[in-house]
Amino acid sequence: MLLKSVEYVRPDTVPEALDLLRSNVGAAPLAGGQSLTNVLKHRVASVDLLVDISALAELRSITRTAEGVIEIGSCVTYDEIDHSREVRAGHDIVARVAAHIEDQQIRNRGTIGGNCCLSDPTNNLPPLLVALGATMNVRSAGGSRQVAAEDFFKGYFLTALEPGELLTSVTIPPLLSGVGAGYVSVSVAADSKAIVRAAARVEVKGVIGEARVVLARVASVPVRHRGMEDALRGAPPTAESVRAAAATIGNELEPIADSHGSSQYRREMARVVAQRAVLEAIAEGGGK
Amino acid sequence: MIRQGTTHTIQVTVNGQVYNRVVEARQLLVHFLRDTLDLTGTHIGCDTGSCGACSVIFNGQLVKSCMLLAPQADGAEIETVEGLARSGELDPLQQSFSAHHGLQCGYCTPGMLMTATYLLRQNPTPTEEEIRQGIKGNICRCTGYVNIVRSISAVAEAHRATAVGTTEGRDQQ
Repeated sequence: MLLKSVEYVRPDTVPEALDLLRSNVGAAPLAGGQSLTNVLKHRVASVDLLVDISALAELRSITRTAEGVIEIGSCVTYDEIDHSREVRAGHDIVARVAAHIEDQQIRNRGTIGGNCCLSDPTNNLPPLLVALGATMNVRSAGGSRQVAAEDFFKGYFLTALEPGELLTSVTIPPLLSGVGAGYVSVSVAADSKAIVRAAARVEVKGVIGEARVVLARVASVPVRHRGMEDALRGAPPTAESVRAAAATIGNELEPIADSHGSSQYRREMARVVAQRAVLEAIAEGGGK
Repeated sequence: MIRQGTTHTIQVTVNGQVYNRVVEARQLLVHFLRDTLDLTGTHIGCDTGSCGACSVIFNGQLVKSCMLLAPQADGAEIETVEGLARSGELDPLQQSFSAHHGLQCGYCTPGMLMTATYLLRQNPTPTEEEIRQGIKGNICRCTGYVNIVRSISAVAEAHRATAVGTTEGRDQQ
């Protein structure tokens, strides 16, 4: 397939990349390219300059602090996350989710930054990062800022990034003693696009403490379900109370209908996956 | 830094041979291999990263070559299906595909072979489930998966036998 004519540049440093992004209106960062290349083929977005950031060392590292905070560079691939000792050490769920994204070829190229910046509602990592309370670290030629994952995803293929800004890394707080995470999807086929999905982070100290329940594919972006979170708080960590809390998921959700499921089907499955994700989180947290 | 432009001079090593070529930035790596280097063993199935027919090993990593642009390959080492056979003799995996009828129309075969090559390098003795997981990104439209899995399993089995033999040898010492 022949793409529209495009310029390519491979900077050596992040500041060089940021300068290129600032001074070229039609520039787009190219990370793993597992979505952008198809965007270019289908000519659905106009890109004049590809700034290849995929090999920048600064964007390719994973660090874990003594407190258990993990920072993953935006150009770290899914396969690298899957095989990272630092990630597995305290954030096994992130590695497990990364290990089941599409297929080996895509996992070898696709990056956490691309997965987030595309803001495709079927993407695997956004709901997980919202549930885990992650922070998106953003830089531009003019400075840097941090955006909560919860505020980063703005709509279909739309994020909080302004022109010239680059997501450089994602920081995930530790999952301390008594805190667990869960992630459950209903998918079209194994490791493929989700029809509906839930991610949860739950604290258990005798009863359920703070709970974050995030649903994906029920709206254009991952959404926290406050009703279920409120119902969980203070409840005993039992299947019965989780089922009761999931019953708060109702008609306030108006998921899209497509060939994979009606709106009603998605709403009902949202209850099921939310319940399972919370139970998984409770089981994981209780084991610590 | 690779300078900004719509054309680039790139140096790529494919199957051990070094090539210097001028490429357009918009050229897909698969077209560079097939049209520019005339290495037509790598096939194009879907052109959208879904079928895996264009899979090659890029700096040691299995990738779909329709999902990279030619200038991204500057400085890279690439292995394609043409590099598997040595001195006209099929490698063990290719022989196994032949012995177990691991191909029907043959269109997906180059991609399957490169994926299986990568898989067996990562894990010389994969289970059937690991093989099925490993080739998930490669579609066989003849749906000949049973024999493809059997072909790869046979090589894994041979590796297992060799590994066991080696261990036994050590135990006897």
